[in-house]
Amino acid sequence: MNIRCARPEDLMNMQHCNLLCLPENYQMKYYFYHGLSWPQLSYVAEDEKGNIVGYVLAKMEEDTEELKHGHITSLAVKRSHRRLGLAQKLMDQASEAMVECFDAKYVSLHVRKSNRAALNLYKNSLKFETVEIEPKYYADGEDAYSMRRDLSEFSKKVTVESEHSDNIQ
Amino acid sequence: MPSSNPLPPKENALFKRILKCYEHKQYKNGLKFAKQILSNPKFTEHGETLAMKGLTLNCLGRKEEAYEYVRRGLRNDLKSHVCWHVYGLLQRSDKKYDEAIKCYRNALKWEKDNIQILRDLSLLQIQMRDLEGYRDTRYQLLMLRPTQRASWIGYAMSFHLLEDYKNAISICETFLNQQQVNTPNNFDYEQSELLLYQNMVIRESGDLKEALKHLENNQNQIVDKLTLKETLGELHLNLKQYIKAAKCYEDLIVRNPENTNYFKKLIIAKQITKSEDIVKFYKEYSEKYPRAMPPKRQPLTYASGEQFKTLVDQYMRKAFSKGVPPLFVDLRSLYGDKSKVEIIEELCLGYVESLKVRGKYSESTNNGPKEPASALLWVYYYLAQHYDYLELTEKALSYEDAAIEHTPTLIELYVTKGRIHKHAGDPQEAYKWLDEAQQLDTADRYINSKCSKYMLRANRVKEAEDTCSKFTREGISPMDNLNEMQCMWFQTECALAYQRLGKYGEALKKCHEVDRHFSEIIEDQFDFHTYCLRKMTLRSYVGLLRLEDVLRGHPFYFKSAKCAIEVYLHLFDEPLKDERTEQELNTGKRYYFLYFVMVMAIKGN
Repeated sequence: MNIRCARPEDLMNMQHCNLLCLPENYQMKYYFYHGLSWPQLSYVAEDEKGNIVGYVLAKMEEDTEELKHGHITSLAVKRSHRRLGLAQKLMDQASEAMVECFDAKYVSLHVRKSNRAALNLYKNSLKFETVEIEPKYYADGEDAYSMRRDLSEFSKKVTVESEHSDNIQ
Repeated sequence: MPSSNPLPPKENALFKRILKCYEHKQYKNGLKFAKQILSNPKFTEHGETLAMKGLTLNCLGRKEEAYEYVRRGLRNDLKSHVCWHVYGLLQRSDKKYDEAIKCYRNALKWEKDNIQILRDLSLLQIQMRDLEGYRDTRYQLLMLRPTQRASWIGYAMSFHLLEDYKNAISICETFLNQQQVNTPNNFDYEQSELLLYQNMVIRESGDLKEALKHLENNQNQIVDKLTLKETLGELHLNLKQYIKAAKCYEDLIVRNPENTNYFKKLIIAKQITKSEDIVKFYKEYSEKYPRAMPPKRQPLTYASGEQFKTLVDQYMRKAFSKGVPPLFVDLRSLYGDKSKVEIIEELCLGYVESLKVRGKYSESTNNGPKEPASALLWVYYYLAQHYDYLELTEKALSYEDAAIEHTPTLIELYVTKGRIHKHAGDPQEAYKWLDEAQQLDTADRYINSKCSKYMLRANRVKEAEDTCSKFTREGISPMDNLNEMQCMWFQTECALAYQRLGKYGEALKKCHEVDRHFSEIIEDQFDFHTYCLRKMTLRSYVGLLRLEDVLRGHPFYFKSAKCAIEVYLHLFDEPLKDERTEQELNTGKRYYFLYFVMVMAIKGN
């Protein structure tokens, strides 16, 4: 398994992975929009043959008056590749890039109220906090938890890393 | 505006309002103003107004009338750039790009410096990959708007795409030099992207030393530290500056120890070549990064004999105790080496015996607590997949059944059982097990998708569609929703099922849907030609252009094209006779030309 930043040629395979795993789907153009607006923010996990087994599709929320923040549009790991910790690792990479390239203060996402596994990941492993419940957020009428994760730990990390690299130059 | 029929001030004001309405998508109002001009007996045949009326009608979906009005307008005023431009826009909306380009060129004959027409022309040129034409138009745009950033970037890019690196680099250079040097802003993302783009062009020109110099000089202005470091590492490596390269990859591993490639590059940079040294190298890193996967998994690829046995033994025990379902897919790539397969098999069979007797992996592990009961389950599950891979169906099934008996609630087991039957050539039995799995967890789309795929393999199209419907939007047929969402795996499998069933018309219909997705995805580029020049995400934009150039080389396309070709060849060899099939063939005939198109596309790729 290999985790790396997504490239334009990955986007179609991310769409495929999304269609296999999740009920919320998007046309290719929306993937292009992500990949061409914020190329640093989306990540993929691939197997040894280069097949995409998981991905995170992320963006920046730019037109708000709130603090600068990122948003996770979609995150999926194939069921055949669960319990490897891929989702968490994908999220951490995307979050770090949000801070580094776009000065994001926090990252937000929506999750189905019934999706226990995902909720557990966001709450316990990734330290997301529930901000509010958005009634009937999903097309089928289900409510969503709107969640947020503070990214200041990453901004410290980015500073440390860049100081670190300054020293070697 | 050299219109042969200029309007007096009042009508001219109305005409301007038509233009404004068009821009703001207020088409109904646009038509109203057009009517006001055209109802004046003096201007019933006013060319530009007629053309604009046509263009507006087109936006309201009244295509036939649109063409009528636009053409009539043009006939009445052949020297009007507005009429030609409008005709071009109309053709563009119909995707007749070659025709549209001709129209724009005619428009420019009458108004050569019209920015809007030049921009529209440049978009079509890049979309059609008329790179020389694009370069010339970008040059005109730069001359007309030399203060705009996009003018410079577009012009530079046109040279890059023509592989004229020298000019591309120097135009970037000129542009960057004339920019005021702002106080270094930490988050000037666009400047950062531009510099990285310039660096990409320098690298592609082959001058790696210059690329390295450029990157090092500008690194403080680059916010995308990941790309910076990855590129530095690559350059140092290619320039054989191994110590510096190693430093880059070490930093990258700190940041993302899950990237297998960084480790591989670091090994090259450290000039480690012997297998045992590589294993040693990974061992060090697995201590530094205990949570990371590559330092644990990679040595299994390089080790052999006793060392491999020791390592894989540790690796598997850990996974069985923890319960890692993907262990087999993780180790599968080792199966090219027969001796490794034997070692794995021997170890697993040993685990089974020992776990059954004493709850431990081996006799020698006397001390310590027993393994969790699930360990045995995971070993069974592994062995089932192992024997399935070796095509020993009976053995595979016996371990799968042992696993199911152990834990009848684990869905993965039913999926694997189905897969074993599939590999053994029994799609009917295979789909039953997937259906079982799907019923155990109806909320998981992955299982649902797999189940529906197996149904298609068993030629059960209706069941597959019904299964999918649990996750498609309500109020629309599942087939339509899957088509709307560009769900190509489904459509391809569906086509293959229809082909096997001899429903050739239906099969071709599905293939054609896939082909349309590809046309649509090529169409999707259009908006990004303008968008990316503004956003400055030029590297990704070039990546997109290059992807689109070979888009139909994607395996999804290949698979459905192959299906279509087979169906057409079959229909050619054995034309259908009776009435019912005649009808099917007629549906097929419509797609007949597509067969040639697809053959050409495959040849082209």
